[in-house]
Amino acid sequence: MPDSLLMLMLFASPLVGLALLPILPKNSPLSWRLLAMLAMHGSLAAGVVLFACCNGQAAIGEVKLAWIDSLGVNLHLAVDGLNAYFLLLTVVVFPVVLACAWSSRQVQDRLFLALLLLLEVSLLGTFLSQNLMLFFIFWEAVLIPGSLMILVFGGEQSRKAATTFFLYTLGGSVLLLAAIILLGVESQQQTGHWSLELANLAGLKLSWHSQLFIFVSIALACAIKCPLFPFHSWLPLVYFEAPFSGTALMAGVLSKMGVFGLLKLALPLCPDVARAAAPYAVSLAVASILYGAVLALRQQDFKRLVAWSSLSHMGYIVLGIFACQESSLHGSLFQVLSHGLAVAGLFLVLSLLEQRVGEQYPRLNALSTLAPRLAVVTMLFILTSIALPFTSGFTSEFLILFGTFQQGMAAWRAGTSPVLLVCSVVACSGMVLGAGYMLRFGRSLLFGSTESSPIADLNLLEMISFAPLLVLILWVGIYPGSLMEKTKPAISSLTARSGQQPPRLLLSAHVQGASYGH
Amino acid sequence: MGIDLIYGLLPEHILLALILALMVLECLRADRRLAGPLSTFCLAAGCLVLCRQLAEGYAFRLAEGEIAVDRPALLARLALLGCGVILGLCFHERFGSFKARLLLASSLLGGLLMMSATGFITLFIGIEMLSLPAFALMVQEGGTSSASEGAFKYLVLSSVATACLLFGASLCYHATGSLALATLAGSHPLAAPPLLAGAVLVLAGLLLKAAVFPFHGWAPDAYGSADLPVTAFLASVIKAAVILTVARLFCAAGSNALFAEVVAVLGVASVCYGNLAAIRQTSFKRLLAYSSIAHAGYMVFALADSSGSALETLLYYASLYAVTTVLACACFAMLAGSASDQLTAVEGAFHARPVPATILALALLSLAGIPPLPGFFAKLFVFRAAIASGHLLASLAALFGSYLGVFYYLRMVFLLFKPVTSGCRAELTVSTGWMRGGVLIATAVLVYCLVCPHCLSVKPGARSAQTGTGHTVAAPAQGYQLAGRVAVAAKIPSP
Repeated sequence: MPDSLLMLMLFASPLVGLALLPILPKNSPLSWRLLAMLAMHGSLAAGVVLFACCNGQAAIGEVKLAWIDSLGVNLHLAVDGLNAYFLLLTVVVFPVVLACAWSSRQVQDRLFLALLLLLEVSLLGTFLSQNLMLFFIFWEAVLIPGSLMILVFGGEQSRKAATTFFLYTLGGSVLLLAAIILLGVESQQQTGHWSLELANLAGLKLSWHSQLFIFVSIALACAIKCPLFPFHSWLPLVYFEAPFSGTALMAGVLSKMGVFGLLKLALPLCPDVARAAAPYAVSLAVASILYGAVLALRQQDFKRLVAWSSLSHMGYIVLGIFACQESSLHGSLFQVLSHGLAVAGLFLVLSLLEQRVGEQYPRLNALSTLAPRLAVVTMLFILTSIALPFTSGFTSEFLILFGTFQQGMAAWRAGTSPVLLVCSVVACSGMVLGAGYMLRFGRSLLFGSTESSPIADLNLLEMISFAPLLVLILWVGIYPGSLMEKTKPAISSLTARSGQQPPRLLLSAHVQGASYGH
Repeated sequence: MGIDLIYGLLPEHILLALILALMVLECLRADRRLAGPLSTFCLAAGCLVLCRQLAEGYAFRLAEGEIAVDRPALLARLALLGCGVILGLCFHERFGSFKARLLLASSLLGGLLMMSATGFITLFIGIEMLSLPAFALMVQEGGTSSASEGAFKYLVLSSVATACLLFGASLCYHATGSLALATLAGSHPLAAPPLLAGAVLVLAGLLLKAAVFPFHGWAPDAYGSADLPVTAFLASVIKAAVILTVARLFCAAGSNALFAEVVAVLGVASVCYGNLAAIRQTSFKRLLAYSSIAHAGYMVFALADSSGSALETLLYYASLYAVTTVLACACFAMLAGSASDQLTAVEGAFHARPVPATILALALLSLAGIPPLPGFFAKLFVFRAAIASGHLLASLAALFGSYLGVFYYLRMVFLLFKPVTSGCRAELTVSTGWMRGGVLIATAVLVYCLVCPHCLSVKPGARSAQTGTGHTVAAPAQGYQLAGRVAVAAKIPSP
């Protein structure tokens, strides 16, 4: 079972690093950093191999250990089609974040490295667990390192931000716990034993009311985590106060937990309610897209601008999920990867600027003459964000809008509801607004004339660390078909269960087109 | 029979011998450094005996209708004794004198008696032995006026509780003609008015001792004015003992809808009140008092379970809660020194002393019920039982109450990790090896409870795992209560 060993290595590597970290000699920050980097690379290697092995047909790297029988909690981890991108995103982003923070003052502290490793383990656990309670445990466990990172390494209002982050997200999860227990009770009533394995739960027949309660609980928890429009009020404070590495992780990876929850729990467990609630969810998603974009247009501070743009892009993912059509779901999954990489990249670029210039970085301009390599990297991330063709942003947003439009047309023709169609049309304006604020950001940061002295350009380590992000962005942009194969079966089963039947002809034509690469 | 008289109550006998020895040593003015090691050794020996009995599946009725040793009793006694060992180790200095150890041992003896009581007389003796030494501990050595005020409140309200309990027991005797606890648990309270009144009075008396919501008034003052070690003792051993007694008394009555509703309402009210009131506290001991009111609420809430597993749930919850509380108090004392009780005393403590601060933070988060810490699973057992019994709305209310609880635990955790602005704190308190050992053992116990919460199940085949560690506290297991009863019924002969 080599793939199970890989799965163990994926988790063991950061955990061993975490255990060794306190033992290392004092006053040698370099050894701490090297250890943490090594641990993350262990996960990276295992994660990439697992991702490469994943063909979407069967679960890969399955590990199943009984833990608490009477509560139905098993240590059950596996890579299936749905979580493959999330796995890749997590293992890639963490080493990059550490490399970009290599010479900052935070990594002089062992606590920061320990929190990073802990965060990586709990995120991987959230994405890979195949047991609902295990998922919940990891989902909550993310809060501890996340909020401590904001508290200890954040800005002036870090305590308020950390408390807000913790309580807001925990508030969403309280109902989720009740829903999980209710699912266990249902499982006991229907199958005779208490089981929280996701595979078993998906087979339950739930009444409308149970489904409604469970859906609302899951959707609330996920909408807060994403965040989605009316539940986003923790976002500004937390994203602005967190250290740059923390913000990069939050916007890049932590926010994807909400998406994952919707995909993995809400759609398969309560398909009927999900279908009925889709118009509302889609409206909220579009509201998010526009709201985030409009606010981003008004920001002067780069960090705030990227933070609000993140809200807008997360809206696309939710739009694609609730349109629940094959290409829109493919688009959403690509957007997970694309947005995760791009937004983490943008925040990391800002963190490099902050390390070089200090508090003055928002007033920086003409970066293209001061530090050309850094400027090129920045421009690539910006172009991904505005969804230029041949970048991953285009693939994903195009697929989302295309799928949503198709589904909307089908719904309109069937005479059910025009909401989806209207939403897909309105969502397109988000792309235009996105181009507006992102290009403005690019212009003011990269171009112009400046008197200031040149700043250090990207060094070798930083160039190497940005490389995987850019390679992945271009890969998804140019040849998405190779990755789509991995998620295709999972998405088909998802739409078969929760979506209305999509028009087959258009879809199959489209998937072929996508693999040629636009 | 004769050997059972010794073997069945061996931990109690060991404690009694310890008490006598301490008295003699006190009279002889022996070296007071002897007190700690001697009593720790005796308590640990008691734990080992209990572990052995558990491994054997020992069960025995010592006095018909008064004392019976069965598996739940063994587990509960193990939990109390283990907690006593940890407490003694963690606060070795405070319980350094013969007198303090004497009082501690007497109180524990009372607790052990309560756990194996099946009749009101033993229960009454036990509960008095449990609480009176605690009162003496509160005034002994402290000696300040506020200490006597809190202790006095505790004494008065404790006497009221005793009176309620006695009166209730008399009414039950009047109605049923028996002093056995099983009669009260087995009969329907609505059958006869005196029985109902008796049941209500017994319940009220016990809840008063456990400081559950409408009966909680004494707790903050009493906890706040005692020394931290004594507070830890009040919040852990005494609370656990009383709650476990309530569980043993009433868990058979759990199928009674009226009783289930009453305890559900009381539990939810206690959780919400305790957690709300704790938010505004600035002193650690008062915070502990309100948090213990909230935790008593969860434990009472667990009694609303109608599936018959309330006792297992509570054994797990109460033992975990007791050990975690002692651990948190010990770490707080390590970080803040014995003098200060303000929460701000531990501000930024992580940067000066990372290990105790991390353990304290984890203990607090565990008390708050954040996964993946053991406290989460304890709460999960409670909520699972409640939701499975159909109390969905009450569970949602209790979940909301527990969400309120996160506020103050989190505030304290954040205080610990707060970045230090002005240099390191000058005075660092010294922690003794005993203290560190106690913290280590408590942490190990909690980790053990987290990793295998089902290792103490009596399901066939799982028995061999029971003897492992010395201080393992109870764990819930489906049906072990049943198995315990079967064992009692079959009168398994002891070796």
